[in-house]
Formats: sequence, C-alpha cells, structure tokens
Amino acid sequence: MAAVAVKYPAFQELGAEVLTVSIDSATTHKEWHEKELSRMVEGGALYPMISDPEGKIGHLFGVYDSKTGLDLRSHFLIDPQGIIQAVEVLAAPVGRNVAEILRQLRALQHHQATGEFMPCGWEPGKPTLAKEGEVPSMSGKVWEIWKPRNAF
Amino acid sequence: MGIQIGEKAPDFKAEAYYRGKVQEIQLSHYQGRWVVLLFYPADFTFV
Repeated sequence: MAAVAVKYPAFQELGAEVLTVSIDSATTHKEWHEKELSRMVEGGALYPMISDPEGKIGHLFGVYDSKTGLDLRSHFLIDPQGIIQAVEVLAAPVGRNVAEILRQLRALQHHQATGEFMPCGWEPGKPTLAKEGEVPSMSGKVWEIWKPRNAF
Repeated sequence: MGIQIGEKAPDFKAEAYYRGKVQEIQLSHYQGRWVVLLFYPADFTFV
C-alpha cells in the first residue's frame, strides 16, 4: 500500500479519491501508519484507511475470503455516478501495479470525456479508436491506425 | 455475490483512520468524484 501512498498525488490530479480497506481495526491502521507507512512515504497515507473487521465491506464487493478471514487484494474504479467501471482481484502472493490502476483510470476518464475507445496498452498520447456510433465504419480498418507495437 | 461492471457500487459506512484520527467514512459521500477503492489482506504486509 506504500506504493499507493506514493502515487496519491497522481490520483488527486485526476480528481479521484483513494479509499483503502482491510480487516484491521482503525487503531491498527494508525499504528501501521505511524510505525511504517509514514517512514516509507513522506506524510504517509493521506487518504482514509478503512477498517473492515468482519469483512462486511469485502463481502459486499465479493472479495472477502472466508477461508482466510481476509479481504483479497483488489481494486474497484467507481465513476462519479457511483457506477463500477473496473475490477481487479489478485491472489495474495501477487502485488498490484499502481501505474496500471492509474492507466485504467485515465482511459476511463478519457472515454467518458470523448466517447473514444482505448485499445490494448493505451496510454495518454497513443492512438485511440473511433467514438461510439462510428464503430461500424472501423470494421476491417483498425489495422490502418493501430499497430501491435502500440500495446507495449 | 460478486460485483459486476456497470452496477452501482454498494454503499457502506465504516470507521477509518484518516488525517490523524479515527472517523466514519461513507462511500456515497464521494459521489460526484472518481473513487479508487482498494482492498488488501492486512496491515504490516508488503506483497
């Protein structure tokens, strides 16, 4: 979660708020914040660290693992209307990629602003695909504007 | 039940550690802004 704390300003620049959730108590969050997070990242976590002691929130979002009694590492991108636009759930041994979460957020915001579609590996500045309504005309022509190298 | 893309995020209210103190947070208070909601197994872990 320290990586999320480091990139918090980037989320703020995109007008997004960050909320983190684990089964730990708010007091444990405070201890972790004081003993480690704030030593690793200047200022520590500047967003709410939510306590989900019985896994109720995790259960609501389908990420509570009753076998371990823990919430699975996962993220949800929720748009300004409260609609879920992205979901990722990982097995415990694998850490997340904060840059990828930011990329997904930028792509979703770009879509909501322009109606365009962001192909594989899209980053700001890379080509997008046509707006909704123009899609039929794209059929068979994607190769003209999108090359596999754009994915990497 | 798992959650699906395009569905309304379920609202919740819970205690959080925020800005140096314990306070109550409600997801629906953030309506009107993008929210990045991140779950993780436990504090004091690093994977």
